[in-house]
Amino acid sequence: MDRSLRALNRFGLGARIGEQESAGDPAAWLRSQLRPEFAILDGAADLPTTGEIASAVIRFGAAVRSDDAEERSAARREIAAIEVRESSASLARRVTSDAPFVERLVAFWSNHLCVSSLGKPQVAPFAGHYERDVIRPHVLGRFEDMVLASARHPAMLLYLDNAQSIGPDSKAGRATTRSGRGRGLNENYARELLELHTVGVNGGYEQRDVEQLARILTGWSVAGVRSRDGAEGPPGFLFRSAIHEPGDKTVMGVRYRESGEGEGKSAIRDLCAKPSTADFLAAKLACHFVSDSPPAAAVAAIATTWRATNGDLLEVSRTLIDLESAWDPGFRKFRTPQDWLVAVLRAVHASEIPPRLGFVLRELRHPLWRPPAPKGFGDTTSEWADPDSLLNRAELSRSVASRVPDTRVDPREFLGVTEVKDSGALSSMLEDGSISRSERVALAIGGPAFQWR
Amino acid sequence: MNRRRFVQGMCYGGLATLGAPLVSLARVPGNGRFVFVLLRGGLDGLATVVPIEDPAYRSIRGRLAYDPQDLLPVGEGFALAPGLAPLSELAARGELVALQAMAIPYRTRSHFDGQAILETGLDRPDGSSDGWLNRLLQVMEGRREGIAVAAGLPRSMSGSIGVATWSPASLGATSDAYIERLHVLYQRDPVLLGRFEAALQLQEVATEAAAGMAVTGQGRRRGQAAPVMRATARFLREPDGPNVAAVEFGGWDTHTNQGLAGGSLDRLLAGLAEGILAYKAESGSSWSDTTIVVMTEFGRTARPNGTGGTDHGTAGSGLVVGPGVARGPVLTDWPGLSERELYEGRDLRPTLDTRAVLKGVVMGVFDLTAAQANRVFPGSTDVRPRADLVR
Repeated sequence: MDRSLRALNRFGLGARIGEQESAGDPAAWLRSQLRPEFAILDGAADLPTTGEIASAVIRFGAAVRSDDAEERSAARREIAAIEVRESSASLARRVTSDAPFVERLVAFWSNHLCVSSLGKPQVAPFAGHYERDVIRPHVLGRFEDMVLASARHPAMLLYLDNAQSIGPDSKAGRATTRSGRGRGLNENYARELLELHTVGVNGGYEQRDVEQLARILTGWSVAGVRSRDGAEGPPGFLFRSAIHEPGDKTVMGVRYRESGEGEGKSAIRDLCAKPSTADFLAAKLACHFVSDSPPAAAVAAIATTWRATNGDLLEVSRTLIDLESAWDPGFRKFRTPQDWLVAVLRAVHASEIPPRLGFVLRELRHPLWRPPAPKGFGDTTSEWADPDSLLNRAELSRSVASRVPDTRVDPREFLGVTEVKDSGALSSMLEDGSISRSERVALAIGGPAFQWR
Repeated sequence: MNRRRFVQGMCYGGLATLGAPLVSLARVPGNGRFVFVLLRGGLDGLATVVPIEDPAYRSIRGRLAYDPQDLLPVGEGFALAPGLAPLSELAARGELVALQAMAIPYRTRSHFDGQAILETGLDRPDGSSDGWLNRLLQVMEGRREGIAVAAGLPRSMSGSIGVATWSPASLGATSDAYIERLHVLYQRDPVLLGRFEAALQLQEVATEAAAGMAVTGQGRRRGQAAPVMRATARFLREPDGPNVAAVEFGGWDTHTNQGLAGGSLDRLLAGLAEGILAYKAESGSSWSDTTIVVMTEFGRTARPNGTGGTDHGTAGSGLVVGPGVARGPVLTDWPGLSERELYEGRDLRPTLDTRAVLKGVVMGVFDLTAAQANRVFPGSTDVRPRADLVR
């Protein structure tokens, strides 16, 4: 019974009331979810295509330069509408999915290779498409394929500025030098690719490697997101040889012969295959699934699988299920705001998401696809359990509880979905008829026990 | 629980507390308090610390040039905006220095990059760096408790040292039966109990600070300066409370109709002045140990734009306030506003590095060595701290 609850809360996104009674062998249940088709979003056909998104971005780009306030606000509304459609679809999937382990993996990898609309409004309409197109198809596939797909998606190319990085000795680079416009190499994506996406900050690279990798990736750009791009072909990835830095390059001791777009593909595959990448991701996964300070054995087990399979995420996910420490009640994780709200909604079998969920997530400083920096959101207790946040959850619980219909749940049933065993204080409050039913629900979801998974 | 006492450094910072409070009007080493006020959006520095004697001032500012009679002259050819007039008392006592032609060390006109640079204390964008205030807490000795007075943990405070948080939005939450019951439940959670109790303490202190102030609706969400600064002073005046605070205010991105005396920007500045005075009034004897620094991510264009506002620029202005201020009323290496002196033909040219100011201030307030200050601001070894700023 405890292991069922563990599978639902730790590996999944929160137990539904009554759900653990019906689960069979918890590990087998988790393994049965690991099918690539379960990662694909149903109803994606109703979501915006690359073409629709690119048109909105073009209109937005024109509008911000316009003096027409009406045109500007119409363009902003169009972008916001796409964002809401995408985020609602993604969050609804987290709340209603019957393969919640897969959804947790999607959220993990989407945050690992995050894009953010903060400071980059043109990324906003692409962010949902990025998760559908880059993360979901590869979440049980190969890590290097996921990183390559992210490197070529407009959201990432725009977010970390690679689309506008120009090789200083490229045809276009020499022209801009002559004209004194001074646009040139942008290292932003190359740096984060090393530091945050693959080998990690201690992965053994130097500033020179960042510069060389940035040169390799010059030319990896986006077509069809500016009005003057019209004739270049369909919106999406475009290798622009005119801005690609010519010549051989060396990154972390490996020499890449001049081969245009091919250099970047080889370099990314090589970085993904580094032992330091395996170690970096093994530690990050163990921290997410076991504890803020995971046992070394858990990290080692994940790293071993990663190396043996060169980052086969299906095998890596199976290894997570096999970790003893992931099932050990001595370890636990503090729920992030997204995790906490999704768990509340799953507990009461919500079939859709509340209309203001996006607003509430912003208030709890955990908005979907809008982390403050390329590192993504953290998932440790010290990052989320600050005093103000605990009080905000307490206050919010009251307003959430007042919206749960009285007939939907008996407050006592929350004891069955809560990870931390109750010493009696919570159960006696939940049985106390002198406290309103709504406040008892608030105590169940706003109290400390429900904050853990 | 005795909520008037900040138990064991908020219980989870893991830091020892001092003994009896030292009450004295003289600044006591180790007792320093530092408040970093970030004005998000890009304060128009030329409308704040006004170069009234620059020959090009009137022509370049055009419709945004103040009537000199509305301004508060502080000397050295500069005057403060009308809204800052309430600070004249501080200026007269030598407790205020205006910073001018100051900029972050990285040239950007993006709010996002500019704030990231100012908050990480680095000279280039770095996606994963800690905030410089958190690094300050890591480096300084003795009592070191941080608090962020903001909606969410600002980048400047994020990092490995746990800091308290309080946001004006939580004003009004009551210690009613529901919160008392939750408190009972939190007694069973040793990891979270200290954090929850810290929240209740801060709430109580802040509610007292806000007593008599109508902070409701929109104002409560936006964070009016006076109640926020008053609450911050309450937190920092506690002898074993926090001694490093990050506070922030928004609304400074004045692209349209920023106005002159009594205009929209001037009203924001008046609110800021009111906030600083509210802090002083509320801080009691701890004022003698307090230094407040006000900064923004960038200044704005020297010329007005077509909609009565200004666009994103480069160098701007700031303030250092407190009894420890040790120099004249204006700190600047004034580059001038003539056409050929403007940065890229449009902005005030930067001549003062924000890090030189911040290093000088924290060295003075917390008795840091230059080596410690260089750890707070990595990559700044060749940026000489303005050691003359704070005693």
